[in-house]
Amino acid sequence: MTWLSKGTAAFGFVLLTHACYSAHEHSALQSHRAASLSSLASAQSTAVSPLPIDITIETIVATLIICLGLVSGTSQLRPIQWRVWAGKIEQEGEAGFKDSSGETEKDFVGNPFRLLESRPGFVDMRKQRKEFAAWEESRPTGT
Amino acid sequence: MSSSLLHPPSHLPPATASHLARQAPTTLKNSPGAISSSALQSVLAASETQELWTTYENLLLSCLRTRNDESAQQCLARLVDRFGDDNERIMALKGLFKEATAPDDATLDQILQEYDHILQENPTNIPVVKRRVALLRSMGRTTESVNALNSLLDMSPTDAEAWGELADLYLAQGLYPQAIFAQEEVLVLQPNAWNIHARLGEILLMAAKASDSPQRLAEALKRFCRSIELCDNYLRGYYGLKLTTQQLLGEVAPKALKQTDSEEWTIPATSTLRELDEVATQKLAEIIRRSSAGEKDWQGYSKAEIAAARVFLESQATATIR
Repeated sequence: MTWLSKGTAAFGFVLLTHACYSAHEHSALQSHRAASLSSLASAQSTAVSPLPIDITIETIVATLIICLGLVSGTSQLRPIQWRVWAGKIEQEGEAGFKDSSGETEKDFVGNPFRLLESRPGFVDMRKQRKEFAAWEESRPTGT
Repeated sequence: MSSSLLHPPSHLPPATASHLARQAPTTLKNSPGAISSSALQSVLAASETQELWTTYENLLLSCLRTRNDESAQQCLARLVDRFGDDNERIMALKGLFKEATAPDDATLDQILQEYDHILQENPTNIPVVKRRVALLRSMGRTTESVNALNSLLDMSPTDAEAWGELADLYLAQGLYPQAIFAQEEVLVLQPNAWNIHARLGEILLMAAKASDSPQRLAEALKRFCRSIELCDNYLRGYYGLKLTTQQLLGEVAPKALKQTDSEEWTIPATSTLRELDEVATQKLAEIIRRSSAGEKDWQGYSKAEIAAARVFLESQATATIR
């Protein structure tokens, strides 16, 4: 998730908390007013004032901002069709599977069938060592 | 770079392997050596992740490959500490280490005897069975290795890696029908593996050259087409496709297309072959052009493959001009 989307979602949460607190305060005020009035006057039914409309608006707007922040922070969707996904692996390699912060995604394994050709259970280590030594000797020294 | 450590490193080019191995001492120092099971320490210290031990195993393989035996020894020691000596994979890794650092053939024979001993106690220790097959092959005792591999496959016929190794063994000996059969078994187990379809196509091309049979060429054509169906812009697939269509157009057109025997693979018409050839040429040219121009989304191809494809296209172009 990018910083902008995280910030937006956080701002939305703050707004939501503020709205909920205001609503709580409003209902506390209501009950306090009712309690104090009933001790002074009798038989006067006080109208319960409805929740102020700006608190309602604030709640709805806060929810929308949170949704906006969360949705904009999701990473790139991966291809569904097999050939497109396989083509992406072959064509773009690691670079095609970076998440929003620029790092390769953790569960990217490249071509999963590569192991059928490299066969790590049967690796001939002696041959690999010889080939590596030959490669090292053939390199120009000092690199 | 460290994402490469999460996957077995056999396919890495030597430069990357050497780079990883040179960083081994730092990696070993920074990673936790032993994970304690007490609750307090697991809260304070780095937690054990699944990747940690995979990283150690792959680092071990890279270090052995680059002859960095001290770091390899350390990796192995940490793995043994964590999983114990009785774990099948650990036994195989220990055997691998001994094989790699063995100074002479007598030691190799000794290691082979150790494998046999382990397998006597537990004949279903698959990692050690595989190591035994690999050691026999490495020592040049190919017939025994093939027999051992066949008995492994009798034991567990759904092991695609083992079938692949069998195909490779047969191919190395030049036994094309058996190699084709074994590679087809791999495809039965993993039908969506585009690189294995291409590999089978390549084996069929080799077999067709050896036995001069157009039926094998037709089958190779189908395999390469399938690999392209499974993977867009597959360089290896298009290369093989062009190679096959060139051979079919060059060889088979003079001979009449004999379809007397009931073949599964009939050779397609010449116009189809030409169209396929054109598509393959176009695609190869596009891939080479975009990849060499450094375009952003086209850098996943290996440079060696691009160079080989370029050489191939140029040779084909000069042939047609002539």
